[in-house]
Amino acid sequence: MGCFGCWTKTPGKCVIRDDAVNVYPKIAKSDGVMHVSRIKYGGYDTVMKTMLERAIPVQQAFIRILHGETHHVQREVLPKKAVIIAYGEISDEERDVFQRLVARNARNMNFEQYRVIFTSESQLDETVQREVAKWKK
Amino acid sequence: MEKIMVVNGSPRAPKSNSKRYAALFSKYSKNGTSYFNISKTNHLALCGEMEAFSHLLFVFPLYADGIPVTLLHFLKTLEQNPPKNKPTVSVLINCGFLESRQNDVAVDMMRLFCKENGYPFGSVLKIGSGEAILDTPFRVLVARKIRKLAKGIEKKEYQVLKVSMPLSRKMFLRASTVYWTNYGKKNNVTKEQMETMQIEGPGEDEKKTKPF
Ligand SMILES: Cc1cc2nc3c(=O)[nH]c(=O)nc-3n(C[C@H](O)[C@H](O)[C@H](O)COP(=O)(O)O)c2cc1C
Repeated sequence: MGCFGCWTKTPGKCVIRDDAVNVYPKIAKSDGVMHVSRIKYGGYDTVMKTMLERAIPVQQAFIRILHGETHHVQREVLPKKAVIIAYGEISDEERDVFQRLVARNARNMNFEQYRVIFTSESQLDETVQREVAKWKK
Repeated sequence: MEKIMVVNGSPRAPKSNSKRYAALFSKYSKNGTSYFNISKTNHLALCGEMEAFSHLLFVFPLYADGIPVTLLHFLKTLEQNPPKNKPTVSVLINCGFLESRQNDVAVDMMRLFCKENGYPFGSVLKIGSGEAILDTPFRVLVARKIRKLAKGIEKKEYQVLKVSMPLSRKMFLRASTVYWTNYGKKNNVTKEQMETMQIEGPGEDEKKTKPF
């Protein structure tokens, strides 16, 4: 972790050859993504956060200027519509932090549009099914 | 004066920039410090150690716009195994991009952790261009801010500080291109190779059409 091999040794490839190497190319090729995660301290919980941290091979080391800020150049990453389903007992303050997190992610993960949906654990299945149904249309 | 517990939450703690920032903090802190990395196996030991300290400084990088999962794992363990006397928590965060404000969300996550778990919140130092700044002449700017952070904690006068390379975005872009090109060179990888648009090598179609 944090070795930058995917930028400077084997560009575009993670040197840790586990499941992640099957996931980030699929994310890159998709024009829609749905993240479903429990929220912890206003951010993604550990499973989703691990996945997002393992996805940096889809970017180059090199910097570009985007919306007046420095960000990385993306490799072949399609612009995406993202639906983020955040669940758990989420306070107003946590919601605010999470919304700002996703707004930041949008710049680094090539979201052209995104929606954040907050729900409880008991309503989660229903919420996911409803959103997936919208995509199928 | 009470000693400060310094915890490095970088996933590459032994070889991290955070370690270097922590070392500067220790150099300037009159309180004295005890330094710890977070490893996969020492979470409970760290929770136990915490009992002896009234101030705790977390030093870590920004990862995917938030706190690194290494630190998140530790905070979850700490939530389950809190010390009886909760120390005041300060934060020294660094990110790769130029703008120190890109750290704001991660700092607020730390505030939320503290609020939900009853830890008083102390000071913050947000470093932009943190991957490279220590190896540039701007190092002195960071050292100055870290000293200020240490002084404030010593006096219990808590503050939010920030520092970055005093460069325009365009100049930062150029400087970072040189930095990363040299990084690649050390691995015998050219700038052009680093600029590949391919993820996980050539796509299936390209593989098929490739001549033998
Ligand atoms: C997986 C990963 C994700 C990162 N995400 C960000 C980010 O979202 N924003 C940013 O400015 N820098 C990001 N960085 C850059 C680091 O914050 C920067 O290199 C920092 O200096 C690392 O500190 P450390 O050596 O203490 O771990 C990321 C680095 C890695 C390896």
